[in-house]
Amino acid sequence: MLVSLKWLKDYVDIELTAEELAHQLTMAGLEVDEIKTIRPQFSGVVVAKILAVKPHPSADRLSLCDVTDGTENYPVVCGAKNIAPGDIVPLAKVGAVIPGGYTIKSSVLRGEKSDGMLCSEAELEIGDDASGIMHLNADLTLGSPLEVALNIEDTVLDVNVTPNRSDCLSMIGMAREVAAITGKKMKLPSVKIKESSEDINSLTSVKIIDSDVCPRYTARMIKNVEIKSSPVWMKTRLEAAGLRAINNIVDVTNFVMLEMGQPLHAFDFRFLEEGRIVVRKSKENEEFISLDEKKHTLPADTLLICDGVKPVAIGGIMGGLNSEVKEDTQVVLLESAYFNPSSIRRSARKLAMPTDAAFRFERGIDPEGVVKALNRAAQLIADLSGGSICKNYIDEYPNKIISAENIPLRLERIREVIGIEIGTKDVVKILRSIGMTVKQEGRGRYLVTPPTCRVDILREIDLIEEVIRLYGYDRVPVTLPAVSVNEMEVIPRLEMEERIRQLLIGSGYTEIVNYSFGSPLFADAINLPENDERRRSVRIKNPLGEDLSSMRTTMIYGLLETAKRNANNGSFDLKIFEIGRIFLDRRQDRLPEEKNVFAGLLTGKITDDFWGSNKTVDFYTLKGSLENIFVDLKINNCRYVSTVVEPFLHPGKSCGIFLDDKQIGFLGEIHPDVEEKIGLKTCIYVFEINLDFLVEAYLGRKISCQEISKYPAVTRDAAFIIPYTMEADRMLNIVLGQKEDLLENVSIFDVYSDKGFEEGTKSLGLRFSYRASDRTLTDLEANTVHDRIVQKTVTLTGAKIRY
Amino acid sequence: MISELQQLEKDALAELKTAKTEDQFSSIRIKYLGRKGLLTGLLRNIAQVPEAEKPLFGKLCNELKNKLNAEIDNALREQASRNKEDILLKEKIDVTLPGNLIKCGRIHPVIQVRREICSIFAAFGFSVVEGPEIELDYYNFEALNIPKDHPARDMQDTFYVEDNIVLRTHTSPVQVRVMEKVRPPLRILSPGKVYRRDSDVSHTPMFHQIEGLLVDKGVSFGDLKGILTAFLKKIFGEGTTLRFRPSFFPFTEPSAEVDIRCVMCGGKGCRVCGQSGWLEILGSGMVDPAVFKNVDYDTEEYSGFAFGLGLERIAMLKYGISDIRLFFENDIRFLKQF
Repeated sequence: MLVSLKWLKDYVDIELTAEELAHQLTMAGLEVDEIKTIRPQFSGVVVAKILAVKPHPSADRLSLCDVTDGTENYPVVCGAKNIAPGDIVPLAKVGAVIPGGYTIKSSVLRGEKSDGMLCSEAELEIGDDASGIMHLNADLTLGSPLEVALNIEDTVLDVNVTPNRSDCLSMIGMAREVAAITGKKMKLPSVKIKESSEDINSLTSVKIIDSDVCPRYTARMIKNVEIKSSPVWMKTRLEAAGLRAINNIVDVTNFVMLEMGQPLHAFDFRFLEEGRIVVRKSKENEEFISLDEKKHTLPADTLLICDGVKPVAIGGIMGGLNSEVKEDTQVVLLESAYFNPSSIRRSARKLAMPTDAAFRFERGIDPEGVVKALNRAAQLIADLSGGSICKNYIDEYPNKIISAENIPLRLERIREVIGIEIGTKDVVKILRSIGMTVKQEGRGRYLVTPPTCRVDILREIDLIEEVIRLYGYDRVPVTLPAVSVNEMEVIPRLEMEERIRQLLIGSGYTEIVNYSFGSPLFADAINLPENDERRRSVRIKNPLGEDLSSMRTTMIYGLLETAKRNANNGSFDLKIFEIGRIFLDRRQDRLPEEKNVFAGLLTGKITDDFWGSNKTVDFYTLKGSLENIFVDLKINNCRYVSTVVEPFLHPGKSCGIFLDDKQIGFLGEIHPDVEEKIGLKTCIYVFEINLDFLVEAYLGRKISCQEISKYPAVTRDAAFIIPYTMEADRMLNIVLGQKEDLLENVSIFDVYSDKGFEEGTKSLGLRFSYRASDRTLTDLEANTVHDRIVQKTVTLTGAKIRY
Repeated sequence: MISELQQLEKDALAELKTAKTEDQFSSIRIKYLGRKGLLTGLLRNIAQVPEAEKPLFGKLCNELKNKLNAEIDNALREQASRNKEDILLKEKIDVTLPGNLIKCGRIHPVIQVRREICSIFAAFGFSVVEGPEIELDYYNFEALNIPKDHPARDMQDTFYVEDNIVLRTHTSPVQVRVMEKVRPPLRILSPGKVYRRDSDVSHTPMFHQIEGLLVDKGVSFGDLKGILTAFLKKIFGEGTTLRFRPSFFPFTEPSAEVDIRCVMCGGKGCRVCGQSGWLEILGSGMVDPAVFKNVDYDTEEYSGFAFGLGLERIAMLKYGISDIRLFFENDIRFLKQF
């Protein structure tokens, strides 16, 4: 809401500076976003008087004027016709600057000297009138600067009115707040209607069919109006409020809307067929052309103002082209009505017509202000257009609009909510300052009736808010709540996430956060087959763009895009991870499934920019990072299953991660086809793990401490030649499966293959560690058990021993 | 004879001083103390010493012999250690080269801010709760006193999945879900992602919020001021100046917007604070009785306050970040700075 201070001062005296007022309004809940100064776009223009007008000797269209600014006389050549001796006009003297940046110079026009320029409204951008020289009031002081004489400078506050304060969407509403804050009295415009003898009821009628959406409709008729442009005072006020001046009738409806908060509409009565108004809801797909010349196909239940035959306005939103006030309009039917707020809001949204009128109606206007605004506008129209107001007004009011009355208020409750006692006198004074009626009901108990414009005040708490708002938030002392103990369940996953985050950054990974939505094309980009559940993505109905329309079902695509963006920026070595949610659609009307996951991506050199090593990452770098996490979380039963292959991973360098029989995630190298589709060039390794599954294992973790043996271990190595495809895990299982008591540990020390080997084989070097808990093992004992294990392993696997 | 002995001591010590190598030390030992050495020679001539001086002369000779031996040993030891230092110095490395352990990664700046805020409120007894990011219209709006067709819905531009399913526009729906299950007293904090249909230098369609809620007997607006003042001083420093001013949120009444003195200009007015000298930091208020009614809390018995703040905004102010979109572009050169 743009609030012109000059206009505001019509209704309340203001002694504060604009900055002080802005601060006080802000601290009362009417936040001032900006303070703007409106200055004229000219300088050096003064009030002057024409002394004489003579025809130009050598140019028919020009005349020679003798002009005075009260101290000096100037010869001025002028092209306008509407000037005569005695006229008071604006004179741009030599050296003056007029809008557009032109500087006035002394010149000679067709042989005659001209020391200045007489100006039109349009030339000074005071108004739109370019038809002739602007005429000023005779009582202005000659020689005074025009901006001072016309009081053109103004300050405008841009006030952010919250949705509950519809009462402040008007100058009078703002003035009421200012008066309450500063303790000044309000000055309301006086309305004196002079009616003609012709009764409106003999000329027209109003019939409300759907009174649920239109509880009240009032109208007045003004005859014999003359359409012209509005006076400067009105134009400058409208423009300061951000509206364009159109003509005296339309301007009055806008002016009164801004002044009192009641939207109005003026019809040209001659276009109303059957000369009457009918208010009803639209049928599905009725068509209508609004006065901005746009054609609308109306949804059902749009509120329509009709004449006897056809719609002439979308009620509360915009008038129709077929009945708008034109240059030759003579009879005006003026509408002032109350429309149902939610109905207007629904229609304005469906039609995408957020007009000033709709904005006010949907927030709720003052139901008792309808007739006041009608009379004020009728009087202004009559004043500005020379028209005469017909006798009486129509007031169809089938549905009483209920305003809150006698809301109980307890002083004790105020104290409880705010935390301190505010005295009875102060409370009553504050409430009365904003127009509330306060009746005492008993000790510390009141019945409060708010003014009808305060549609937001219905309950005790609404009154308490008003009290504290005007008392001042800054005067409420700071306290701390008493501690009461309540035991909330903690979320174990969050604690686990923190450990994972810490471990990953320790391993060199940096955390990223991607949008939860992206392009629906991701599924094709990462080769998901038709039946993959990750194609069941949740779609946003009104996305910012197609590429942000699909909720992610995996984090992998986002990580790959991040890698690509970084590669484009020259960062090729990346270790990144993300913790967040993925979303899977279920059926309609059920909330989607949300899974907590963490995922990571690895590419490039192991240590960025290290001068000592240029090793690049591989599958085992990534697996090591994950193993580290599982060790820390005490989850030691993870299995890596190579037969479970994700469609976007390299089938030979990837695996599923399992806890018992449940897959909790995957890791591996990105499939070259996917890399190519996305436009990535280096080898990329990724993982994704479901945190909800992992946390179950985390909660079941146990630490049971083993005694440390006092006796030394004996180690023996053996290398087995086995088929290339045989996995190390299987060999270890076979060894451990023999359950030899003395075998403490077996580990892999070497994986090797060369040309000398039989094709399709590799050597797996195992280191066996033997120990007894009660004695030092002899070589013989160690050798016996070692030979037994090696022999049995060979028998079970068909491996050969490599010597 | 005794004077010869004294001369010999002088010579030997002088010679020892100039010696540098192990060989030189050995030859000095041989020259003076060897079987054919000078001191041995003097001792052999003990016969020429008058009888009365003989015991003294013998004693002096022995003392000198021990002394020279000790001096030579000492010099040898010093020399050996000097040589070892020389060798170690030749192994000198460049200590200014960077270490070669894997460099640690960084936590996303927004998550760092989330951690900090959660730990401050943990000290005030608040525990973290969670809820769905894709939410029913009921929890996101209606239960929070924002009915359909209400202008307050304009305050948050919403992404819709179905007519009654939205991407949550704030983390406030979590408070309703918790209150439905848990009776007061209550101190909860709900951090998480939220979504609004908005995109420019200061808005991204996804961002992070933390919402807090405290419900108990006798909680007042003064308590709201107390907790939030303590919190803001912890996060922005003890010297932070703040102000509470009236505002409107459908789910709180009275509602308060909390501003701090601009951290960039100190209140003089700058681009960051839009010349006002103040920065909007969080929204708050006393829980509206309508919300309590929806979860069946007795509004006469219990009262409470709620507050919410955007994490990106805090991170931008703390770290001097000018464009909110940087948080989600994930440029490693940006992330490595935190």
